[in-house]
Amino acid sequence: MKYNLELIKNKRKIFSFSTFLILLSLLGILYSTFNTSYKKPINLGMDFVGGNELRIERVCEEECSNLSPDSVLENLREISSNKNFINNIKLQFQNNNKLISIRTPYLSIEESNNLITNLDNIIGPLNYESKDSRLIGPKLGKRLLTNCVTSLLVSLFAISLYITIRFDKKYALFALLALFHDLLIVFGIFSWLGILLSVEVNSLFAVSLLTIAGYSVNDTVVIFDRIRENLKSKEEGYNETIQLSVNESFRRTTFTSITTLIPLLSIILFGSYSLFWFSLSLSLGIIVGSYSSILLAPSLLLKD
Amino acid sequence: MKRRQGWLFFIIFLLTLSVYLLINYPLQLGLDLQGGSQLTLQIIKEEGKVTRDELEAVNSVIDKRVNNLGVSESNLQTLGGDQLILELPGEQNPLVASRVLGKTALLEFRTQKEGTSTDLKNLQLQRLSIKELIEQYSIEEKNQNNDNYFKVIQDDLIDIEQELNYSSTSNDLYGKLIEIKKYVDKEITNLFIKTDLSGKDLINAGRRQEQTNSNWEVLLTFSNSGGEKFAEITKSIAGTNQLLAIILDGESISEASVGNQFASTGITGGSATISGNFSAENARELEVQLKGGSLPLPIEIVETNTIGALLGSKNILKSLYAAISGLIFVGIFMIFNYRILGFVSVLSLVLYGFFNLALYSLIPVTLTLPGISGLILSIGMAVDANILIFERIREELYDGNTLSRSIDSGFQRANSSIVDGHITTLLSCFVLFLLGTNFVKGFAATLGIGVLISLFTSLNCSKTILRFFTTYQSLRQKNLYLPKNNFSN
Repeated sequence: MKYNLELIKNKRKIFSFSTFLILLSLLGILYSTFNTSYKKPINLGMDFVGGNELRIERVCEEECSNLSPDSVLENLREISSNKNFINNIKLQFQNNNKLISIRTPYLSIEESNNLITNLDNIIGPLNYESKDSRLIGPKLGKRLLTNCVTSLLVSLFAISLYITIRFDKKYALFALLALFHDLLIVFGIFSWLGILLSVEVNSLFAVSLLTIAGYSVNDTVVIFDRIRENLKSKEEGYNETIQLSVNESFRRTTFTSITTLIPLLSIILFGSYSLFWFSLSLSLGIIVGSYSSILLAPSLLLKD
Repeated sequence: MKRRQGWLFFIIFLLTLSVYLLINYPLQLGLDLQGGSQLTLQIIKEEGKVTRDELEAVNSVIDKRVNNLGVSESNLQTLGGDQLILELPGEQNPLVASRVLGKTALLEFRTQKEGTSTDLKNLQLQRLSIKELIEQYSIEEKNQNNDNYFKVIQDDLIDIEQELNYSSTSNDLYGKLIEIKKYVDKEITNLFIKTDLSGKDLINAGRRQEQTNSNWEVLLTFSNSGGEKFAEITKSIAGTNQLLAIILDGESISEASVGNQFASTGITGGSATISGNFSAENARELEVQLKGGSLPLPIEIVETNTIGALLGSKNILKSLYAAISGLIFVGIFMIFNYRILGFVSVLSLVLYGFFNLALYSLIPVTLTLPGISGLILSIGMAVDANILIFERIREELYDGNTLSRSIDSGFQRANSSIVDGHITTLLSCFVLFLLGTNFVKGFAATLGIGVLISLFTSLNCSKTILRFFTTYQSLRQKNLYLPKNNFSN
């Protein structure tokens, strides 16, 4: 089966589409920075700002009774000594009221234990074996954030350096443009998710951006390799050779994306909840990455 | 052909070795998979960086304390130059560990300044009443009594503040109580003069129940020189109305007089007891802290993760489902598109899985949730190389080349772009591993190892298996490699 993507004809459409996505992402980032309660380009999660996250299951005979978070909070307020932090609690019921998920500002281990005891009194019995509790101090959060940003910058620099040494300047520049395009769009999507659904990003999000960077460049490298090889041997014009090379590597690129997406999809469907957003951002990155490797990066190489 | 057979035996050997390793050296599971607690301890230093020696010193003190606590199978490691990570597997409550580890446990012996007896008596009285108020507060809190009861405490507190001529700045009542207590402790400590005897002069600590009541006391055993210092100090104040204070982290836990009978030699024998109304638990905690020595720098617990055992085993099950379903669907996709070649890649994927897990148990890599996601993700990347090669083989076949030629040149021509492409992923993994947190390191390790192994399995193993298949006449038909309807030109 031969593919025939009309790259030359559709160059303008591809550029407009990418520009549209980038503008949309920038809009999300700006809106998030100025118009949200957290005033950050993206909704930073507990890993970066510190706090306490607790998930624990109730023990119910058959179905768990329906409880309103507000009334539970009201009860908590009555029996807790530190009334202040109750106002900053977020409490949710999930899984047919079985699972309680709570976010509070940073608590000490002692305070967190007290909170669980109080909860047990209100909505117990609780299954302690199902407990998942994370306490992160604000100091550590700040440090994690710097750590993640440094990792991202260092590895982007390393990748750029490698590509510049490996390819000539023009190829390197366009491969990197495609890479930043991918990262910006995934970042933008999560900015919007933060605005619309209060989705937070944690250190795993930074990891996913790094992985996307490696992966997206990998894809572009394969196509550019093919273009370089064909430019040496084929007699057709420059633009036509690029289009041909893209069509030749189309199957390869989509197939590898599909085989990478399949396992990610299984994590999204069957895996642990803590990996859900991580897998989602990786999947998005791979989809955007394949698009930019197949359509955007080669189009940038086309001559007018 | 000989060389290929050599490879085949080598691969079978590796597979056997992997299975052997996996049976004899089971995989280490992280706390998110087996349940347990993880504490991150941050060393606090006001100025400058924590040096390697200081880190070592803190590490050894914490290690001693953990051992003396009797926590089973705990694991302590340093992270990033100024942090320590303590893992407590199973259903062990991190609360006790956090109380014992978080204290500096700086033990001092001080003698009272002359002429401060009345001041001290007054402060001791205030300390007693503030302690009673704190106790009362926790009782009211437990009984969930209404605000009137707290009002009583509030009034008493104001009396104490007036007596001390000090007003607290905390917002809530409990904070105020603690603040005043700290103030009183500081004032008491200030009435005493430092001596050269300290926690460093201890060689052991123990505890026992007091004979007269149910309280506990902590026994101190000094080193030879420490015993001499102790004798010297006690001699200097024996028979006077100056007291000897034992001070822990700036708080005096015991003030005692030395009788006149010690005026000539001091208290000899090289031991002392602290009886400060300890409960059994408090005495044990102090014992553990003193045995481990004091921390050269204070630490703070900055992160605590606790995962229930049930949740851990659920996480294992979920990850297994995800990994297996991922493998199966990737396999179906590959066989559907590449026929025999697809089957070959499935076989090399299975090899890939075994080699990976065997390496985890060999290195060893502790498997965590992010680690597993790295492994699952690398399944997709492992077939990536296979797809590159197979596409080349297909092209060669379309061009009318023989099967054996196509296979050879397919592997040869895809080589460079495979290695190239994987380098960028390896770069990312490397940076993640160097700079990442513990949590992130797991992912970087498994993904990195996966990418490296996949170079071996997708290049060498699949070529060997494919070579082996094509020695059978019946497996050499071209339509087993290409879908028939596409095979016209």
